[in-house]
Amino acid sequence: MTRARQTFGIWLALAPALAVVGLLVGASLAYGVAQSLGLLAILGTSQVSVAAYRDLLDGTGPAGREFWPALGFSLWVSLASTGLSALGALLVAAALGRRPADGTILLMLNLNLAFPHLVWAVALGLLLGQSGLLARLAAALGLIDAPAEFPVLVRDRDGLGIILHYVSKEMPFLMLIVLAVLRTQGTEYDLVAENLGADGWQRVRHITLPLVLPALAAGSALVFAFSFGAYEVPALLGVRYPRTLAVLALESFVNPDLRQRATGMALGLIIGLVTLVVVGLGRAWQRAEVRHDA
Amino acid sequence: MMPDATHPPARRAAALLGRMVLGAVLLGPILALLLHASSTHWFFPRLVPAEWTLAPLLRQLGDPRTRAALGASLLTAGITTGIALLLGLPAARVLGLRTFRGRSLVLLVLFLPNIVPPLAIGMGLNVLLLRLGLAGSIAGVVLVHLVPVVPYAILALLGVFARYDEGYELQARTLGANPCQVWLRVALPLLWPGLAVAALFAFLVSWSQYVLTLLVGGGQVITLPILLFAAVSGGNPTSIAGLALLFAAPPAVAIALAVRALAAAAGQPARGMS
Amino acid sequence: MTRIALTGITRSYLRRAPPALAHVSLAVEPGTLLALLGASGSGKSTLLKLVAGVEAPDQGDIAFDGRSVLPVPAHRRRAVLVFQNAYLFPFLSVAENIAFGLRVQGASRATMQAEVRRMLDLVELPGIERKRPAQLSGGEQQRVALARALAIRPRVLLLDEPFSSLDSAVRHTLQEAVRRIQRELGITTLLVTHDRGEALAMADRVALLDRGALLAHETPQRLFARPPTRRAAHLMGVTTCLRGELAGGQLRTSLGVLAVDADGAPAGLATYAIRPEHMRLACAPEPNALPVRVLAETFRGERYEYLLQAGDETLRVHAFQPFTAPADAPAYVVLPTEHLFPVCDDAVAPPARPA
Repeated sequence: MTRARQTFGIWLALAPALAVVGLLVGASLAYGVAQSLGLLAILGTSQVSVAAYRDLLDGTGPAGREFWPALGFSLWVSLASTGLSALGALLVAAALGRRPADGTILLMLNLNLAFPHLVWAVALGLLLGQSGLLARLAAALGLIDAPAEFPVLVRDRDGLGIILHYVSKEMPFLMLIVLAVLRTQGTEYDLVAENLGADGWQRVRHITLPLVLPALAAGSALVFAFSFGAYEVPALLGVRYPRTLAVLALESFVNPDLRQRATGMALGLIIGLVTLVVVGLGRAWQRAEVRHDA
Repeated sequence: MMPDATHPPARRAAALLGRMVLGAVLLGPILALLLHASSTHWFFPRLVPAEWTLAPLLRQLGDPRTRAALGASLLTAGITTGIALLLGLPAARVLGLRTFRGRSLVLLVLFLPNIVPPLAIGMGLNVLLLRLGLAGSIAGVVLVHLVPVVPYAILALLGVFARYDEGYELQARTLGANPCQVWLRVALPLLWPGLAVAALFAFLVSWSQYVLTLLVGGGQVITLPILLFAAVSGGNPTSIAGLALLFAAPPAVAIALAVRALAAAAGQPARGMS
Repeated sequence: MTRIALTGITRSYLRRAPPALAHVSLAVEPGTLLALLGASGSGKSTLLKLVAGVEAPDQGDIAFDGRSVLPVPAHRRRAVLVFQNAYLFPFLSVAENIAFGLRVQGASRATMQAEVRRMLDLVELPGIERKRPAQLSGGEQQRVALARALAIRPRVLLLDEPFSSLDSAVRHTLQEAVRRIQRELGITTLLVTHDRGEALAMADRVALLDRGALLAHETPQRLFARPPTRRAAHLMGVTTCLRGELAGGQLRTSLGVLAVDADGAPAGLATYAIRPEHMRLACAPEPNALPVRVLAETFRGERYEYLLQAGDETLRVHAFQPFTAPADAPAYVVLPTEHLFPVCDDAVAPPARPA
């Protein structure tokens, strides 16, 4: 009897949060699917149609023509950003070992975390643009004479600006995760390993990496999901073509031509689907690695 | 035996270089922002601004549109944070302190908004809120902001409860404190530093939200990020930088202070998510 | 002074696991100290939480002075817990900690001040009102926790291993202090401990708990000298139990025949036990002696411990003097009749010995 009451109490405490999140996410997905299938009350149509998806996959229609290049571009930007961020965080973990990170670095990392992406993108533009701070530094050093001579680092066709943005924003995030893991459990294992005769590289390989990898993998999944679906950064630091899927999706959705809404919504769902697939593949790969290691 | 085998000179140099690169990456953009916001007519190739002035920043502050956006941002983020804490506290408490069947499923559901892109959430809820008559209202924007903010608050509070010892509450109860007194006189004083940081980060998530506000606010709820995004396409660097600074500085300062205080108090950094 | 009566208490946490407490009935006389002695997982802490009211039993009743307290919530039961971790509220001063219970009842400032001073005198820490918990030593923290518990004039004091994180010198003085205060105030007290010595030294009565069941409820002296069952004997430090055929004042075991005090027990299979310090090593056969081989000698400071092989059994014997006999000479262990006592077999099987 008391057990049943306890279980009831647990679910009562969870219910409000679960209901809000579950209902809102569920409703948005349901409405999203309905919209993408052409069930749009605004247009008055009530015929189920997969036209939006077909156009995208076939590469036809105003947005469809850009679909495959946009998918490729999005994957390139997000995978490169995630990989570089994770690599950077790992290097920090290896370099720090069991020495604690000092307060200044922690403060800078947290400060970086506090900056909204929108502001960071603006700031990066002011730093890396062809007349930005870096270009002025190059001019002061006599490396360039005119802004046009400075390499195009933001609003470039290869997505370098977007990648630079995500790396400079997400690498600190992953570093904080790694530092938190090392702080809570790193030192004793490392000491034991050293005592057993492991040298520096062996300790990194067999102690530090396995310790931080699970948290780092989870964090990297978040980074990928975020960078693959975010709109503001590629909208501010990208070019008209190629665009990322997110930019294509939002611009289709807010297009005055209401028929484009279905396409935008379909793109939104495809972004979610691709995210799931990539994160799932990443997890499967990580598990296989763990088993291979054991 | 090598002297100081753990820190050979090459490795020390590499570590120093790494710190400098890290510092440049973390502080460079902020520096550019600060320089642009506090100067005017600063043209290429001058490395340092010729004219230092806070006038554009103050003008930005005096602009009624900026003020209205500031108010809308404070209102939405404030209400969202309040609701998220109310919903999140009991949930985080049982998730942090109890083991029960279905716990991992609950965490999975709460993790969902991190995987479903906000674009899809916003586009889906756009229609629902239009139907409910909430599109273009602060209430509608708050409702949609709850989707990322509630899970975020719960995950942040989970860390707080992981370090929490319920024994204090048992102790207080047997000393004669009723449930309300236990909460106010024992749990709250023990939890509040972590709670404050969780609230701060939850506030920040709502405060930084652009896409959700755009899709549900429908151009009628103008928060700071909406204003800034619009300004970027048209304005000059000084006013853009000023507005960006206005948007980013208050939470950045608050979080820096909180992290400092918390690290000093507990010897542990606050953990957040982007 | 409050009399506590527990009747048929059962409490389980997990659906498929055995209950933490099964059908425990127990009475604590007013003003006495009962020690609940048992290993971890015996259910002793659960019992304390049930009496405090922070958990509820699945079955059974808990009564203070004949009135069931099950409907009374923890904060109105006046049964105060003191834990191993003193749980002093870190954000309050010592005085505020001690006054906590009075404050939540709405006592006046003057009452609280007077009571704090009185309690600090009682626990022999006068004048530390303004200190913070973090500035106190472990022993001082426990004294303040005790003062805080006593400040509300509880009907029942519940001590959950309050001494186990202290070093032995502090532990002993604190044990004496708690016993003195408990006697002075005449407060009915339950003490949970896994330390046999602590239970024997402090309690008027000892309740022996094992895997949720009550094995014995006795005075310390009786429980020590004559634990009623094999399991109880084991928990009281008796390692030698000999099983055999009882007939005419003699126990026929596989190791030999022993004269025992049958005291009217029926003939048949019986088990007799003996404390390790009651056995004695000898060089020559004598009555009630069994031939043994000495496997090992350990010097423990105040005594010597011998590990002996008798037949296919190993015996442990404690002695105050070393046993000096040539290595190849025969050795015997003497089990004096007056120290051999019968034990019952337990209803529940004893646990498998860890490998």
